Amino acid sequence: MKKLIYISITIVSALLFAACNPTPEIDNATMLDGNQIFDASITHPEKYLVSAYLPSPTELQKDTPIIIAAHGYTATTFEWDELRDYADSAKTFYVSQVLLGGHGTSYEDFKQSSWQDWQSSIVEEYQKLSAKGFRNIYLAGSSTGAPLILQMVKSGFFANYTKPKGIFLIDPIVVSSNKTLTMVGLLGPVLGYTTVTLDSGEQGKWYIYRPQETLKELMSLIDLTRIDLQKGITLPVGTYMKVYKSAIDETADPVSAVMIYKGMQTSTGGNIEVEMIDSKIHVFTRLRGRVGVTATDVDKQQKTFKEMESKMKLIAD
Amino acid sequence: MRKLHSFLIVFLALTTYVSAQIRENYDLKVGLVFQKTESLYWENGVGADFTSDFLLNKQIHLKATYLTSRLGSGIGSNAILQDNFLLGADWRFRSNKDLQIMAGLNAGIFVVDYGNPIFDVLPNSSMLLSVETGLVYRFKFPVTAGLTVGYNLKSGNGVDVPGSLFPVFYRLSVFYNL
Repeated sequence: MKKLIYISITIVSALLFAACNPTPEIDNATMLDGNQIFDASITHPEKYLVSAYLPSPTELQKDTPIIIAAHGYTATTFEWDELRDYADSAKTFYVSQVLLGGHGTSYEDFKQSSWQDWQSSIVEEYQKLSAKGFRNIYLAGSSTGAPLILQMVKSGFFANYTKPKGIFLIDPIVVSSNKTLTMVGLLGPVLGYTTVTLDSGEQGKWYIYRPQETLKELMSLIDLTRIDLQKGITLPVGTYMKVYKSAIDETADPVSAVMIYKGMQTSTGGNIEVEMIDSKIHVFTRLRGRVGVTATDVDKQQKTFKEMESKMKLIAD
Repeated sequence: MRKLHSFLIVFLALTTYVSAQIRENYDLKVGLVFQKTESLYWENGVGADFTSDFLLNKQIHLKATYLTSRLGSGIGSNAILQDNFLLGADWRFRSNKDLQIMAGLNAGIFVVDYGNPIFDVLPNSSMLLSVETGLVYRFKFPVTAGLTVGYNLKSGNGVDVPGSLFPVFYRLSVFYNL
């Protein structure tokens, strides 16, 4: 019996020691995780948010389509820069790049944020644009941006605002490709955080360290979304939706697209659109900062932007 | 040809020996199996469990199981329909007691029906290999109940294994002794 008690004490002590939640070493000069580098939308919101850029829109501007673009977990507004560049060139629609709550600032900010905090900046920008009278609002979500938008639909948020004309999801995550995430509740306190490797062009644009608290939030968000999709989610009246999903994706499992297709329906009971993209890139529409981008990758990105633009024009007509 | 003859002789001898042993004293149980995968579906189905004295005095059990989301989360919902065909073997500690501890290995095939040709580009089947451990209780009447936890050594990875194959599962089995 004594032996059993000793073994139990040893195991509990080891677990407590392991659960001390270590913190990473952060290089403030080079890492977004530190206290010197921030997302540019914080200091220059007018360059990223249409609500700040057009505080008093004209009637013509109110009729111009706007895409509120939400980035993924640990990313920044950088993830949608290329769509904004496309829009600046096309001059047929605006892009409002929201910075998710807890993102683009510091490891400590991120660590304390919940998925509802991440979602709050999409909600705020939508409320502002709706209040200013914009009539053609679209949403685009890449990776984790997608379940955040789906949760807005599920919650009935749009009932009190201008209905979105359409939703575009790029490589949405409902199931992680790394299935260890399902065990984050058990392993998280032991690990404290996980680390990712960034290409040189991505430095300062993504958090390198992922606190276990935020991994748990991510798991809560995608698990809730999966369950909601299983029960069924209906789009607001007149809202169009299309999912673009890389067929091979080591971050957001492609089965996420299947779950969204099966779980979403239009207000008239129809299916949403899904296109499986012949790509191995997670968020294939973001090529800037990556190493080894091919002409084919660029073609797929531009084709998708063009299609989004055409769809918005078609809906407007 | 000589090799084939030798193989047949060995095979017949083994079959005869096993048949004789089985006739002497065996347990064959059949019943229901309920599986909850961590952060995913309920997949339920049927199973069979066989053991005999010749399997190290009933310390080794051989199992066959069929589990499907069609009889679980797939009922009346948008869950993906998927099937698990499993064969397994487990070792029973305290095999002569009512409360036994089991540890075993399962292997089989996992098949997914995505329900739309759009998703034909995704992998829709995979080999299954899992480890499993837990408790089995033998009641006074001819029923056995098992509560186990398992880990799929191969699970979805976004590349070549179906994404709805998750690693951790919990299983409840209720078997009737024929």
